[in-house]
Amino acid sequence: MSQSFVKKIPQAKRQDWQAMYAEWAEEAPEGPLKRFYQAGIIAPQQLLKDTPLLALDLETTGLNPSTDEIISLGLIPFDHKIIRCKGARYWMAKPERSLNAESVTIHEITHTELAEAPRLEAILDEILSALTHKVIVVHCVAIERQFLLEASLKIYGYPLYFPVLDTMNIERQVTFKPWWQRFGKRPSLRLDACRQRYKLPRYKAHHALTDALSSAELLQAQIAYHMDPNADIASYWL
Amino acid sequence: MMDVELTEILEALCQHAPFNEIADDPQLNDMAKEIEIRYVRTGEWVIAPSAPNSTLYFIRSGALEVLSKEKKLIRRMNEGELFGYYSLLRGGKSSQSMRTIEDSLLYCIPARWFIKLYEENDIFSDFFELAREVRLRIAMESQNSDVSLMTCPVISLLRRPPISADSHSSILSAAKIMAEHRVSSLLITENDELIGIVTDRDLRTRAVAEGLAYSTPISDIMTRDPIVMDSGDYASEAVLKMMERNVHHIPIVKNGRPIGVVSTGDIIQKESHGSVYLISDIYKQTSIEGLQSISRKMTHTFTQLVVADANTQMIGNAMSHIGTAFVKRLLQLAEEKYGPPPVPYCFIALGSQAREEQTIKTDQDNALVISDLYNKKQHGDYFETLTDWVCKRLDQCGYDLCSGDIMASNPRWRQPLSVWKNNFSGWIQQPKAEALLRLSIFFDLRGVYGDKTLAKQLNQHIRQQAQQHSGFLTFMARNANQRKPPLGFFRQFVLDGEGEQSRTFNLKERGIAPIIDIVRVHALACGSEKLNTLERIADIEAAGLLPDGRAKDLALALEMIGMIRIQNQKDQIEAGEEPNNHVNPENLSSLEKRNLRDAFHIVSRQQEFIKFRYAGKRS
Repeated sequence: MSQSFVKKIPQAKRQDWQAMYAEWAEEAPEGPLKRFYQAGIIAPQQLLKDTPLLALDLETTGLNPSTDEIISLGLIPFDHKIIRCKGARYWMAKPERSLNAESVTIHEITHTELAEAPRLEAILDEILSALTHKVIVVHCVAIERQFLLEASLKIYGYPLYFPVLDTMNIERQVTFKPWWQRFGKRPSLRLDACRQRYKLPRYKAHHALTDALSSAELLQAQIAYHMDPNADIASYWL
Repeated sequence: MMDVELTEILEALCQHAPFNEIADDPQLNDMAKEIEIRYVRTGEWVIAPSAPNSTLYFIRSGALEVLSKEKKLIRRMNEGELFGYYSLLRGGKSSQSMRTIEDSLLYCIPARWFIKLYEENDIFSDFFELAREVRLRIAMESQNSDVSLMTCPVISLLRRPPISADSHSSILSAAKIMAEHRVSSLLITENDELIGIVTDRDLRTRAVAEGLAYSTPISDIMTRDPIVMDSGDYASEAVLKMMERNVHHIPIVKNGRPIGVVSTGDIIQKESHGSVYLISDIYKQTSIEGLQSISRKMTHTFTQLVVADANTQMIGNAMSHIGTAFVKRLLQLAEEKYGPPPVPYCFIALGSQAREEQTIKTDQDNALVISDLYNKKQHGDYFETLTDWVCKRLDQCGYDLCSGDIMASNPRWRQPLSVWKNNFSGWIQQPKAEALLRLSIFFDLRGVYGDKTLAKQLNQHIRQQAQQHSGFLTFMARNANQRKPPLGFFRQFVLDGEGEQSRTFNLKERGIAPIIDIVRVHALACGSEKLNTLERIADIEAAGLLPDGRAKDLALALEMIGMIRIQNQKDQIEAGEEPNNHVNPENLSSLEKRNLRDAFHIVSRQQEFIKFRYAGKRS
């Protein structure tokens, strides 16, 4: 594999997550979300290798964050060397609207399973406390962050927002080639395709916990190949 | 929150031993929850030299190498294998070190879980109990490097990816590539397929010395269709091939694609001396006395292989190769003595040597297939003299004359190809149980010297005939049921009970031979070209002749009984006795007894199965 490096975010372009968290901690309504912001955030100077990471994946009824809903969520804690199954967590949530047949075939979660699951509002508190003081790792930041933001708006009336390491974005950078060097198709950035570039095993996709595990492993491989474990976390988070 | 089940992890574990055997243990899910996962890049230590270890590692993907205290390569481990348990059993002290040779994903199981399962689950502990002895002996081997070429796979000798050029390349550009990569050989490909090889020597003798233009296509001077070896083959086989064919480079292929080249230099670097040289010594001998003195070293080679924990397959392979080397050298000497053959012939090995499953003590079983150009009046004397001489000399080299006189020196087993074909047609088309019992040995037939196409044609004929005549398989199946495993009521061992052997039973007669017989029937049924029992089992499995998992059972039973047999033979040798196949159950550990019972049980069940599978029309 070629040694290309993930660009570090320059000082000037970094978002001041600490200041934003402080502000939101003031503004957010009393309750779990306020406590989440009040707990604060990992210091931006924390080295990547010392940062507690948390891979997150969710399955939804569709791709539109404003109309579709989260039906399952998986989390797995890790750092740049070790993934800890012990802290793995998984929830299912009953959506308000019923599932369409198409999404059932994708994630294989059935109506009966979901019928017994609680509503998302009943578990979001628990999820929030799991996210506290971790840097979240996802494959494709747009989806996960947007869905959680929408859910939070609906449940708490205030947005949930947090910095992430995005394995898809990282892969986009390391596989990027300017058009004059490109030959044929761009390499796929799908989770499974990314994993194959690092000779990671094939997993059955579309189970929130498996996918979380998949992106955790992928990030470990990406760090090993393309990132500097001694850089501060703020140079990579988005 | 839902009950967290890491199905991917559990499923991956449960595809491999010992977890597949204990997949129904409810504790596994709890164990999986405590697994830690690590991605380790190529070349990193997982267990560094003399570092303590508190983890059982499972290789989810990738590959590692195991090094001894002296940093010698012991073996290579791949996906699905476990390591670290030896040090866990020894209280965390690790005598070996492990390093990735490919990017690897490892599941780390905490020691606590290993110990718990080890103490609570017999199947689990048996797996490691056996493996522990294995490790112990491997550890001993690392101090005693004599046999490592025999037990290490050829892939471990590879030091770089293959360097290749397209067949249309010019001599000049090929030479440039070789210079740039500093290699002494170059693989030549056409549409990504290996079609030839060019070496330094070819450039020298076939290009420069001949004054060829630099623009000549490299394909003009390459060696077409070079001998290749499979990545899983043993390094010792590479040595053999190099010496036999007088080549210095052998491309190694995996799934049909070249993955590198092994050169004589690589091998010399790996091993400057060792018992592989026993074989090269054989080829150097010019007298019977010389060969005899080598044959006296063979028990030593054998015990070393056992001590080094070669498995039965490796030992069978090594001993058969040594046996074959004796045969070839004697035939070379015979041809020097009596002149070249007037018509082509092929010396064939039968039975265990053909299957490459020889152990230390074997009679010779061989025959001669002569070209149909053979004319008894003109050529009869030559072949009689030749085979007579060779079989007698083999006897002097420790390969006893066959008690059933199945030897090339017997005119009955020294025939032109067409006669052989007729014989086999007769045996197969009008099978007679009694006769077949004696003849089963002929269905394991391998050409070892001379014109091997003769043996090949004969084997083809046998396969065709056998598949066309199912009645014959009924007879073979019936014969395979003749020798029963020594299990009585309450799974007690039944002893053979005669004279000196009254307290023993015969492992070969009652365990190994029945398995070989069963497998041979299935192999004939599915037209397998393989001779080796394990390879036949793989073909049988692929052909779907057996219910799921049964093929593996057979292989396992064979390995278990085979292992106890060679251990027993090693002990006999060390006690100064003649090695044989009789084992006294009182000398076995309880674990060995249990394994043996299980293995015999498998044999019985499979004998029942073939009876039904190949039931004739009448019964």
